[in-house]
Amino acid sequence: MSTAVHLDEITKRFPGVVANDDVDLTVERGTVHALLGENGAGKTTLMNILYGLYEPTEGTVHVDGRARDFDSPADAIDAGIGMIHQHFMLVDPMTVAENIVLGNEPRKWFGTTVDRERARQEVIDLSNRYGFDVDPDDAIEDVSVGVQQRVEILKALYRGADILILDEPTAVLTPQEVEELFRVFEELTAQGKTIIFISHKLGEAMHAADDITVLRNGKNVGTVKADETSNEELAELMVGREVLLEPKAEPQEPGDEVLAVRNLSAEDNRGIPAVSDVSFDIREGEVFGVAGVDGNGQSQLVEAITGLRTPTEGSISYKGRDVTDASRRSRIDDGMAYIPEDRHERGLVMDFDLVQNGILGSQHSPTFAADGRIHWSDARDHAERIIDEYDVRPPHADADAESFSGGNQQKFIVGREFEREPDLVVATHPTRGVDIGAMEFIHERLLDLRAEGKAVLLVSSKLDEVQGLSDRLGVMHDGELMDIVDPRNTTEEEIGLLMAGERPDADATDAEPPVGDAK
Amino acid sequence: MSATENAKAVLRRLTAASATERILISFAALVLAVLVGAVIILVSGRITTCQTAATTLFGTGFCYDPVEVYLVLFNGALGEPFLLNDPALFNPGWNPLNFGLALTLKETTLLIFTGLSVAVSFRAGLFNIGTQGQLVLGGLATALFSFFVAPALPSGLVGGLVLIPLAVIVGALVGGLYGAIPGALKAYADANEVITTIMLNFIAAQIAFVLVSEFFSNPDSQVVETTPLPGWATLLPVAFPQGGDFSILALAFGLALVVGVWFLLEQTSFGYDLRTSGEQPEAAEYGGVDAKRTTVTSMFLSGALGGMGGAIWVLMVMGKWQAGVPALGFDGITVSILAGNNPFGVVPAALLFGTLKSGSLAVQFGTGVPKQLVGVLRGLIILFVAMPEFFRMLGSAIDLEPDRETVATDGGALGGDDE
Repeated sequence: MSTAVHLDEITKRFPGVVANDDVDLTVERGTVHALLGENGAGKTTLMNILYGLYEPTEGTVHVDGRARDFDSPADAIDAGIGMIHQHFMLVDPMTVAENIVLGNEPRKWFGTTVDRERARQEVIDLSNRYGFDVDPDDAIEDVSVGVQQRVEILKALYRGADILILDEPTAVLTPQEVEELFRVFEELTAQGKTIIFISHKLGEAMHAADDITVLRNGKNVGTVKADETSNEELAELMVGREVLLEPKAEPQEPGDEVLAVRNLSAEDNRGIPAVSDVSFDIREGEVFGVAGVDGNGQSQLVEAITGLRTPTEGSISYKGRDVTDASRRSRIDDGMAYIPEDRHERGLVMDFDLVQNGILGSQHSPTFAADGRIHWSDARDHAERIIDEYDVRPPHADADAESFSGGNQQKFIVGREFEREPDLVVATHPTRGVDIGAMEFIHERLLDLRAEGKAVLLVSSKLDEVQGLSDRLGVMHDGELMDIVDPRNTTEEEIGLLMAGERPDADATDAEPPVGDAK
Repeated sequence: MSATENAKAVLRRLTAASATERILISFAALVLAVLVGAVIILVSGRITTCQTAATTLFGTGFCYDPVEVYLVLFNGALGEPFLLNDPALFNPGWNPLNFGLALTLKETTLLIFTGLSVAVSFRAGLFNIGTQGQLVLGGLATALFSFFVAPALPSGLVGGLVLIPLAVIVGALVGGLYGAIPGALKAYADANEVITTIMLNFIAAQIAFVLVSEFFSNPDSQVVETTPLPGWATLLPVAFPQGGDFSILALAFGLALVVGVWFLLEQTSFGYDLRTSGEQPEAAEYGGVDAKRTTVTSMFLSGALGGMGGAIWVLMVMGKWQAGVPALGFDGITVSILAGNNPFGVVPAALLFGTLKSGSLAVQFGTGVPKQLVGVLRGLIILFVAMPEFFRMLGSAIDLEPDRETVATDGGALGGDDE
């Protein structure tokens, strides 16, 4: 095996920050190499150096055994490097084939016209060679995110890439699409391509990579073989201390009923039934988990409970009062905290700073506003407390929400909602996008709230998360609550079957196995 | 994206800039407009004919001298403190309380009201183009209310003290209610407020016209107007003996409203709801904001400010309502955009447009350059303010780019995720 990429003692300094500190990285040809680390560990910076977006302050980049000095991505592309960023750079109304050849179109008539037919054929050949399932004539706006990602990969291959860098490729994918992506990795490496992918998910790195390099605080803290390491070892490398990966809830006797959902049905925005006849209740000191593949009605169920969606049928009672038609505001005032699914749309006002975002939902509460006037100094203290306690970085209360990374935005929202002194916490994907150190902390806080006797509704697509934290677990499929199980006495397979829509008594042989997120 | 969505996106982009950036952009727009305006004045001066060239450049004579135009404009707006062709320069007979300055401040005052009206709605994410209509009806309500109530009050200072505040409140209420109509249409019938407010402008103008011409016309006049109010019922030019239809009281009231609107937007829970709705409606909904109520209330508020503008126009300028109300409401849109929809920004923006408006008269009389050319200058300012991206590019080209923080995605270490 030869070396495809060798980064030699790379240091990258930005004003006030050392992003990469003397990093060595060696990637063998024809392998999948995972670059693992928490948010802000310097993974993307390192790859941007390899791709020619940044110049290293010190150190050299070697590709195929030769020292290179890339001035721009164009140089890197010439050297056979392709990078697929987290946010795709595709033209939505154009077709798959047009996007792939964009900028390098085959031409005819002395270079005056794009040879569409040849472009199309070349794209078909290319995707057949690597076993990609894409239709060259589909418009980008009509295909799924997973397909768009494959188009990005094809675009890099079309430009002659031998080394592919993918920045957090799984962040935008469904579990099924993740599996499909990893299959594509295998196909590509089988044909001699080299893949480097950035991730902060242990399970993924273990599953898909041959070698794993862990970065922490801009330093390479170790390169290990995926089949010679363990989740625990990786987690410790990433965080720098031992990490409790499996949240464990102490058994505890639940108290009075806090939330009761009865025969609830709701529609989605297009008026299509999304939740049908769901009933459950949550008591004090209890975590009720909802598992299910994304898009099986969990969002609409949560919106109905939190007051953002009017149910078509059924009732919701909260703390003994019927709140089916109560306003969102009255539910907030009545101690209902809510970590929303979509932090960019709902959870934060992106152009507001954290001081202003810290009181979103509490802008009328007597804690921050008396006689209709907001006490900004109290709001500032509040935001700074959240930033401090939930380790939001950088700790700038005056910075706009937009300027924070996804994980830090999430930590701020979680902090704001947990510190509301709620009676019920509705948490949807509370650890989405946060690194494992923060994940552990959020899980601990969630269990603290439970110990304080709060009721928690936890919705997550991470099966190990809902299974580990919940006292009772409801499984949703196609808008229905399939069953409510005891997560401690139910296997992952049994839950998986319910997620796929198979009831235990039905014939389970042809059920599709579920794909967990971090498995 | 529909045209209005596009317009809103542009508007958001315009107002997303930081305060410093906004001021820089507005200033740069002003400078650029002056430069391009100078070229246009020169070119117009070539097209027209005159006996003697006003200025000669590169051996070519031009009828209009742009430098002179700007000096006369500025000088005229201040009431000629400078003697332009005199080596002494300063005009010894200049009194700060003069007619020219009164004209400038009159326009400024009116534009403060309409600028605030537009700013409030824009901040709420509502594209209220209807300030004009709200002003027309608010003004009419003020005129009619004053006309019918005045006889019941003692004439003189006491009557004025009672009547004028009431008349302004009536104007605000009517303007507010007229603004609340498109607000309610949007909230409860999903009607696009851009369309409805534009249409309601026409309706307001026609209703007012018919009402006055058919029922409340001044029998002694040929024009469509109401009977003039007695002097004590109007805002008299206290400090400016030469007149000019400007009352310092109205300006003081306008400035108080600026502070009031700022306080409402930035310091109150309602303002928080309004701004959140304007920035991100989904987040507002999440935060428990009643979107429908906020829409109607914001539009009422915006309309009330427009209505007060109408009331001040009637009480301070006309002393009656007269058909052919000047386009103060539309100018309010430009003032608000130049101000970045910031209430405090409205004051300098209104002052700038007030200066241009009153100065344009001096230009016409003093230089023979048609005042429409000054109108072109106003248009140019807006044109350049509306293209902040251009100035950002210019700024980065000459390395003036402010130290913008890198958006930290995952490993964007610039975001400062360092330990």
